[in-house]
Amino acid sequence: MKIGIAGAGLMGRLLAWQLLRAGHELTLFDRGESSGEESAGYVAASMLAPFSEAVTASPEVLSPGLVALQRWPKWLQTLASESGETVPFSYRGSVVVAHPTDRAELHWFHHRLRTMPEVTEAHRQWLGAAELQEIEPDLRDFAEGLYLPLEGWVDNRALYRVLYGAILRAGASWRENVEIDAVAPGRLCSGEREFGFDLAIDCRGFGARAQLDRFRGVRGEVLRVRAPEVNFSRPVRLMHPRYQLYIVPRSGGIYVIGATEIESESLAPVSVRSCLELLSALYSLHGGFAEAEVLEFRAHCRPAFADNLPRIVQGDGLLQVNGLYRHGFLLAPVVVESVLSLLSGGEVGSLVQIRQFTGESAPDRIGEKR
Amino acid sequence: MMRDTWNAYGIEMRSRLLLGTALYPSPEVMAEAVAASDAEVVTVSLRRQSPAAGGGNTIWDFIREMDKRLLPNTAGCHSAAEALNLARMSREIFQTDWIKLEVIGDDYNLQPDPFELLKAARSLVDEGFAVFPYCTDDLVLCQRLLDVGCEVLMPWGAPIGTGQGLINPYALETLRARLPEVPIIVDAGIGVPSHAAAAMEMGCAAVLLNTAVARASDPVGMARAFRAGVEAGRGAWLAGAMPKRQTAQPSTPVLGTPFWQQ
Repeated sequence: MKIGIAGAGLMGRLLAWQLLRAGHELTLFDRGESSGEESAGYVAASMLAPFSEAVTASPEVLSPGLVALQRWPKWLQTLASESGETVPFSYRGSVVVAHPTDRAELHWFHHRLRTMPEVTEAHRQWLGAAELQEIEPDLRDFAEGLYLPLEGWVDNRALYRVLYGAILRAGASWRENVEIDAVAPGRLCSGEREFGFDLAIDCRGFGARAQLDRFRGVRGEVLRVRAPEVNFSRPVRLMHPRYQLYIVPRSGGIYVIGATEIESESLAPVSVRSCLELLSALYSLHGGFAEAEVLEFRAHCRPAFADNLPRIVQGDGLLQVNGLYRHGFLLAPVVVESVLSLLSGGEVGSLVQIRQFTGESAPDRIGEKR
Repeated sequence: MMRDTWNAYGIEMRSRLLLGTALYPSPEVMAEAVAASDAEVVTVSLRRQSPAAGGGNTIWDFIREMDKRLLPNTAGCHSAAEALNLARMSREIFQTDWIKLEVIGDDYNLQPDPFELLKAARSLVDEGFAVFPYCTDDLVLCQRLLDVGCEVLMPWGAPIGTGQGLINPYALETLRARLPEVPIIVDAGIGVPSHAAAAMEMGCAAVLLNTAVARASDPVGMARAFRAGVEAGRGAWLAGAMPKRQTAQPSTPVLGTPFWQQ
């Protein structure tokens, strides 16, 4: 089949790679460069934290998240064997802590996990001061914490790069700097130009907002620092009554710190207030962050439907795959598998809702009806 | 049956539960929780999510779609001047004179700053706003707020988001007894439906909450539970509670049993 994909972010790249492996002929369009710097998945901290996210976002991401924990190492292994390039990832668990005044938040987190039937004692471990020091010595100011041994992270930027190479090698055509502004069954449109395919797949994320109903962007701001004085070996989540942040280590002393969550579709630069919040929370975790170099402070919008869960809108010769919200890396495996299953006439799991494409290309957002 | 309503700034309302719209797992859950709570009024916060600042407005679409009376708040303001600005912006955007006036004096427990609050309330009343002041439970402060033209009081039960319940029932009872004509909405600190019921049993007009519902494991179920709690407390107030006694008094008639005394 001749397939065109709009949007070369996380979903576009993964689908392109998988569909090429299945023998399809593929063209990928993106409004930005091949590095994917303009995509939300490039900005993200790309944690694989199904337990933490089940507590702080929605319990419904737990089971697809557990699938993701199994799929990613296999996918990355396949990618490495095809391309000879490895994508760093880590499965050393994560730690959740809170300052003494915010203990209630940590205990609430733990309580939430204990009430989830799918979460067993092997999935969560309460740590006293000594045990916490043992696994994460640099968290020396904390007397207790929660250890989630299965959680991890994937290096999103390395993944983007390696997928780019793999997709080109598999013979796809990659159209950089071509912004698809409308999709239709069998067609991708960029201004006056139209590209015809047997199947058009819309993976534009937030960029598809004009064509999706009850869909919005949720602004997030993410910080990257290089902190040679800090040595965290796994993601650390700091619970606080008003803002919470997570710090995800990368190689080379780099840490990705995220993320604010603001109900706004603004793509404006990071605000001073968000900087202050993220940086002061970061500094409160470890004094060594004071001397860290700020590499990047970026804002993007997470694509979300009203229930904050992913959705596939299906038409004849068209799939719109969107709404992965703050769970791009966590939900991508299940969503990709749902798409592949749809294309081969199979079943789709309950997480991903399937809707029929109505053919209305005009914006159909509730605010604009009034 | 008698229709039990209450009134704020000339608007008659039936539901005595006001609900906030922040912190829900998703807009869909928020809308379902609001529906389950039977609230007629929802609070909205303009700060940081400004539809005016080019920030897009889809979340507002979800809120408007619920078709509830909006009570914008000035959450996050630390001075009268800041609160005034935000109140004016909110009036433009939400097309209402109603404003829940929050001026925070302490960042850690989000305690209201009574001095700035009074200053802001005076100016806003002068500008024609219907001010719902989020205040501490101090009688003198509440009297001053009424003096400058507030017609409703919103004393805290406990600091915002703590879920501690009514930490100073004496102060709330005093407000109720001394200011019997003023609608008192207990705002903040309510964690479970029994806290809301307790406020209603004291004769408060209504309760306002957000975190207790939004951060429950099942926000929609908790909204329903709060609706029942508020109705129970209100029913008890209307029915008139029995007096408290120090000694036990049997509820079964003891006539005919042998008389004995220790």
